[in-house]
Amino acid sequence: MEYMNKSLTQIHNALIKGEVTPLELVKEAIEKAKKDDNNAFEYICEKEALEAVKKLDESNKDSLLWGVPVVIKDNYSTKDIPTTASSNILNGYVPVFSAEAVIRLEKAGAIVIAKTTMDELAMGGSGTTGHLGVTYNPWDKSKTRIVGGSSCGSAAAMASGIVPIALGSDTGDSVRKPASYAALVGFKPTWGRISRFGLFPFATSLDHVGYFSRNVYDSAYLLNVLAGHDDKDFSSSFKEVNDYTSKINEGVINKRIAVIKGIIDSIKDKTVLASFDESINYLKKQGATVDVVEIDINLLKSIFPTYVIISCAEATSNNANLDGIKFGNRIEGESFEEVMMNTRTNGFSPLIKRRFVIGSFSLMRENQDELFVRAQKCRRMIVDAFNKVFEKYDAIYCPASPSIAPLIKGSSDTLSDEYLIADNYMAFGNMGGYPSITLPIGFENNMPFGANLTCKPFDEANLFSIANEIEKGTGLKDLVAKEGR
Amino acid sequence: MKNINKETLKMAANKLMFDMSEEQYNHLLNEFDVIVSQMNLIGKIEGVDNATPMTFPFDVTSTKLREDVATTPLDRDVALRNAKDVVDGQIRLPRVVK
Repeated sequence: MEYMNKSLTQIHNALIKGEVTPLELVKEAIEKAKKDDNNAFEYICEKEALEAVKKLDESNKDSLLWGVPVVIKDNYSTKDIPTTASSNILNGYVPVFSAEAVIRLEKAGAIVIAKTTMDELAMGGSGTTGHLGVTYNPWDKSKTRIVGGSSCGSAAAMASGIVPIALGSDTGDSVRKPASYAALVGFKPTWGRISRFGLFPFATSLDHVGYFSRNVYDSAYLLNVLAGHDDKDFSSSFKEVNDYTSKINEGVINKRIAVIKGIIDSIKDKTVLASFDESINYLKKQGATVDVVEIDINLLKSIFPTYVIISCAEATSNNANLDGIKFGNRIEGESFEEVMMNTRTNGFSPLIKRRFVIGSFSLMRENQDELFVRAQKCRRMIVDAFNKVFEKYDAIYCPASPSIAPLIKGSSDTLSDEYLIADNYMAFGNMGGYPSITLPIGFENNMPFGANLTCKPFDEANLFSIANEIEKGTGLKDLVAKEGR
Repeated sequence: MKNINKETLKMAANKLMFDMSEEQYNHLLNEFDVIVSQMNLIGKIEGVDNATPMTFPFDVTSTKLREDVATTPLDRDVALRNAKDVVDGQIRLPRVVK
């Protein structure tokens, strides 16, 4: 009997009935992880996980995460477990503390069984740029398609049925886009709702802890575990934490949902559009009002370049500590400057260096007004435009990707004008700090695609109730690639 | 705005303490064509230059002070565990005075 391809509730019930033990779950997950052929893992923590099972607190048995194996993206600090953020500059680095999100998972009884691959330092969207190479999409048996990034390994581990929960991070759409390509539920909360302490910073004003689950209920449950103030994170919110599962069956009667015209118009794939329409019709039948709403097309087109400038600029300072001296893969030189120069020249991939130069150039005094400050101004206009929609609507709903997962051949993180809106618009969720969730809505040639739902800041309970209704309509939940379709 | 050429980009890279290959500088020049044209379009959005720059998604104000509780700081040996060259509890770097 397999359990790792099930949902949290299913696994919990099996544990409570005594059908399976935490040790058996951990062994199943580790065996599957060892057989992974999608390049999902940086490090499998077999020894550490088997030790952790022995120390499980029996009094915590009511937690749905008790005894459940999970995987963690490799940009979270994990005490005594190697952590590289899939960058050669951090080869050999072993953190001396754990991230707050990891600690909260472990306190709830979860067992970390592996660290997962990612786009280097989370600065990519294809899952092809980490130091271990391409991570494949488990839904595509021919290994020709990406699973998306930057949380590629976490998405691949979930889609392969290796674990039921995986931690990712989301600065532009790095959880919500791979979720679309891998038939998963991918969620990021309001900015400040989950502590980022111990998550390697990429762009501080945009970074969010995010995660994957097999269904909307599990996603809501996990927020109960992870949400809440943390003194160690200056941006952590003091707002009270609700039970995010309590309203999940509330339905959508009188809920108002906006579909953004410019985003829909930029999508050409007929199957994606047909499935999306089907889910809208279902929402209407259940009592929701769904309107097509316009946002200035130039503002929609500006989301991606604005994101690129701000994120690259913030990344340059956030990664200034990677010099090989205090930690990391030091390359020797004749002077300390040469040590830094050699370490950084050899440690970062060409893509990362190009991104850093974009950031550095945008921050130069002579360029700031036309690049960095203009991007910050544009961010204000983008967020104001979406806030205006939220004055009248509970949620914004659009396809999460313009198509199924693209082919590896031809996918790259080189900047281009192609699919400027449809492939990149979800970064508005990071700019405004809105809670946002992607869930599967359809298949084309046996490859999945999803839709994305976004609500006002701190309106997660509403988000989960609408998402749950969409999930009921599609019937697409608890999906695993290995079982095929 | 500064002229975007290989020398400027090399200067930007060196300020960040790394270098790139010639091929990468050429690649980056092409990417800058895309960025600059997109940012010029942004510059044409009505009212953009009058908007207030946004540095965070929304204001987070906090007046709470942490409790003044004594805690044990990170042990020196633990803090130095990830440094490659440590001597007598300090990180060793190449000699400055030769």
